[in-house]
Amino acid sequence: MLHLKNKAMNNVIRKLVILPLAFSLLLSGCDDDPAREDVPELITQVKLTFTPVAGGSVVVVTATDPDGNGPQDLVADGPIELMQSTTYDLSIELFNGLLDPTDDGYNLTAEIEEEAGEHQFFFRFSADVFSTPTGTGNIKDNPSTPVSDINYLDEDINSRPLGLVTRWTTDNVEVSDKSFRIVLKHQPGIKSDTSTSLDGETDVDITFVLLVYLS
Amino acid sequence: MKLVYVISLLMLAAGAQGQLCSYKLSGTVTTETSELLAGATVELIPGAITATDDQGRFQFDRLCKGRYTIRVRFIGFEPYESAITIPETGTMLIVLIIQKTVLEVIEVHDHFEHVARTNNQVTLTGSVLEQTRGQSLGEALKKISGVSSIQTGPSIFKPVIHGLHSQRILILNNGIRQEGQQWGAEHAPEIDPFIASNIIVIKDASAIKYGTDALGGVVVVNPADLPEQKGVGGEINVVGQTNGRAVTMSGLVEGGSEKIKGFGWRVQGTGRKSGDSHTPAYNLSNTGFTELNFSLAAGIHKEAKGIDVFVSRFQSELGILKGSSISSTEDLRNAMNREPPQFTQPFTYTIENPRQVVAHNLLKVKGHVHSDYGDFKFQYGFQYNSRQEFDIRRTSLNNLPAIDLDLFTHTLDAEWQQHTSQKFSSNAGINGMIQVNNNVPGTQRIPFIPDFTSVSAGLFYVGKLNLQTWLVDFGARYDYRHYDVAGFDFANRSYTDSYSFGNASFSFGASRTFGSRGVFTANLASSWRPPHVSELYSFGVHQSAAAIEYGLLLDLATGEVLDINSVNFQNEKALKWVNTWRIAKSRFTTELTGYLNYIFNYIYLEPYGVTQTVRGVYPFFRYTQTDATFIGADWFGKLAVAKNFTVASKIGLLRAADQTNNDYLIYIPPNRYELSAEWIKTLREDGQTLSLEAWGTFIDQQRRAPRVVSVDEILDAYAQQEDPFENDNRNFDFTAPPPAYFLLNLQAGFSHKLNNSKLDLRLRATNLLNNAYREYTNRMRYYADEVGRNIALSLKLSF
Repeated sequence: MLHLKNKAMNNVIRKLVILPLAFSLLLSGCDDDPAREDVPELITQVKLTFTPVAGGSVVVVTATDPDGNGPQDLVADGPIELMQSTTYDLSIELFNGLLDPTDDGYNLTAEIEEEAGEHQFFFRFSADVFSTPTGTGNIKDNPSTPVSDINYLDEDINSRPLGLVTRWTTDNVEVSDKSFRIVLKHQPGIKSDTSTSLDGETDVDITFVLLVYLS
Repeated sequence: MKLVYVISLLMLAAGAQGQLCSYKLSGTVTTETSELLAGATVELIPGAITATDDQGRFQFDRLCKGRYTIRVRFIGFEPYESAITIPETGTMLIVLIIQKTVLEVIEVHDHFEHVARTNNQVTLTGSVLEQTRGQSLGEALKKISGVSSIQTGPSIFKPVIHGLHSQRILILNNGIRQEGQQWGAEHAPEIDPFIASNIIVIKDASAIKYGTDALGGVVVVNPADLPEQKGVGGEINVVGQTNGRAVTMSGLVEGGSEKIKGFGWRVQGTGRKSGDSHTPAYNLSNTGFTELNFSLAAGIHKEAKGIDVFVSRFQSELGILKGSSISSTEDLRNAMNREPPQFTQPFTYTIENPRQVVAHNLLKVKGHVHSDYGDFKFQYGFQYNSRQEFDIRRTSLNNLPAIDLDLFTHTLDAEWQQHTSQKFSSNAGINGMIQVNNNVPGTQRIPFIPDFTSVSAGLFYVGKLNLQTWLVDFGARYDYRHYDVAGFDFANRSYTDSYSFGNASFSFGASRTFGSRGVFTANLASSWRPPHVSELYSFGVHQSAAAIEYGLLLDLATGEVLDINSVNFQNEKALKWVNTWRIAKSRFTTELTGYLNYIFNYIYLEPYGVTQTVRGVYPFFRYTQTDATFIGADWFGKLAVAKNFTVASKIGLLRAADQTNNDYLIYIPPNRYELSAEWIKTLREDGQTLSLEAWGTFIDQQRRAPRVVSVDEILDAYAQQEDPFENDNRNFDFTAPPPAYFLLNLQAGFSHKLNNSKLDLRLRATNLLNNAYREYTNRMRYYADEVGRNIALSLKLSF
């Protein structure tokens, strides 16, 4: 009797041992060397190039976040130093500094251009720095923040502004310690004639220090 | 506590005199506290098997004259068995007190119990469980006092027991530890509540039999026993809801075999579909979901042995409120100032990004043998959990998941139980688990958590002493877990790591019956959990939280991964003391539970500083450890005012604190109060009832919430080159807790019995007054109101 019971038990045990073994064959183990992802969305560097329309020396300022979402702060390599009463075309470039410059995905500017229909740059600057545009720009803190126009030189397929290239004329002043802020918004399906900097998700939001010298 | 039960059987015999096989036997099954037990299995041997209805009633027709044995079984209760003679005349009342009998069989089929007698537990079953049909598991459990939920929008609910959730709650699905991606507060348990005939919540930390993680408690989801008698039965549930225009359909067919004695089977499936939910004022865009689940079970049970096979699949796609998709603190501020949320559009069933696609597959094989040396149980479980999370990304990346995880879990359990004497029984076992977590390549993001393999083993012993008025349980357990980890840091450089954790836990429970004055149960238990890799390594911006979080093992200066021995890590351990006093009189039932949970080395996200990225300024949080306390009380009371009329009340109070830093913790459920009144009318004696219930829920404001530091305060401080968290690591919230609210709900039920089937209709209106409110423990409270009025019509046909 006892023998029979044990036999039955052995059968159960055998079944229960074989099944897990069969299943472990289906299972892929933990890779010691998992695949490295490309990370095309990570922007760690923003480069502003101010080119005088009438010719002259180009002003380049780069802001770099050395560790992406890591704890280290973003650092700009200097203030934006412009000359008084000069018209500049500002072009903005975006990079993923965690990649080598030769890698695909290092320069992200073209991606923004391709998806211009759902992206827009917005700007805010100290008053009395530029003669055009006037005001303080089009970044809103809340729906009632007053805004002023920006001279966008590029547009998307719907003829709405993009902002990778914009035009700025400095006033006839000498100022220091002013601010210049750029915000890139991702507005999939919500970019419209009335959308503002309050709409969509933020891809870039950096404030630079701005100086204007006497020529 | 529910140690003393009365199964009272009201037996009415009828039938025309003289005819041989036309007798009837009917009765009612209740607990000692006069709670009607629905879904209990009633067996008449030889002959028939049935289950009790909503009102705890059963009936057998066309019975022949003679002697029978009646056996009543219900998971969580002592089986009742008695000889009866048909025809039965007059009214019989049988009173049983469970703990005075010797056995404490919980799961009849394998004679092992899932719940100890000295546990502080609450069972959700019968009509109370039926009321929750159409809801997810986490939402359904809110019916139990002391249980609340942490929520992400209208469709993602995670159970919270006494203030703890996720990695600190153990869920047993059909006897198997549920292993999904529990670490995420927005990852709901992947369980179809329709498989359950009852759900037990153990409020103790004593999951001695099931291993680590039960710091807050245990949720036990039990399907009904498989039928063993010949015949086919089943049920169909259909639920329609106005809010979300949701439809739920669930079906179950089960049967036994005449040829193969003891063989039973069950096929079950559920489909759910919902579009966008809506608040009283606006649509909650992209909050729809679809769900498709099925399960198959078969088993054969002989007197001395048995084997069961269970296969299930849970599959869902869940939309996340589109307006909660933000990527900087300023976006969060804009979202908090905006109502309705951005991206709000008219109702649709379409689910877009952000969304989750989740599947959970389970295979379980269980065998048991009874021998002279005791009862043995062996159980193997295989779980395959896959989770994909899609964010709003650039067009070219929108179809790629941002998180794509496969989790494979094998569990193997062996258990032995022996009654060495009338007074003493022993239970011992071993548990093994192998788990593999893989990031599926192709997300084009640095993985939020690394790949890992873990190997765990545990060993336990539980002894039970039965001294008539006293019941004493004691147990001890040791667990060991080894991790091998491979991931990528912030710079996309790979790292690997390997280490082990081990710890012992114990539990001691005692229960004393004071005659008619009630039962007192006390349980003191320790438990622990190994840290999850998300707490050690997670790195990145948390979806919709506008915060960057860093794992415990990340160096804050360099972002590099540290050795675990260099960070002074200690295992998180809980010591939980729970006391329950239960009084059960014929018209009045009350249950009061008081608890104290002291958690050593509680792992939480501490605000650590502010960092500027290309996307702007962010507060960042770091996983760190502190000592935390959770002190609270749950109260339940029910009074039969008149024959057909009962009033009931539930209260859940909780105070949680960070002891080390003398601070409040975030997302602690506020105090809850509920009052209900129910009226039941029997329309026809042969099985037609009407019921009406009204209940009101008052949820207080969380007055013990962390300080508020608004987005503007963070930005202003940063602009002045100050870091608001550098010298003040107290917890904070971006906004104050939402105010208290009151909800009124109504329900009407109609039940009609046909020959061999039964029809239940239920009309239920929640948030009847269509109040606009926000829930503190809903992670969407920054963005939108809760759902408005919802009217649900449900139909259940049992056959």
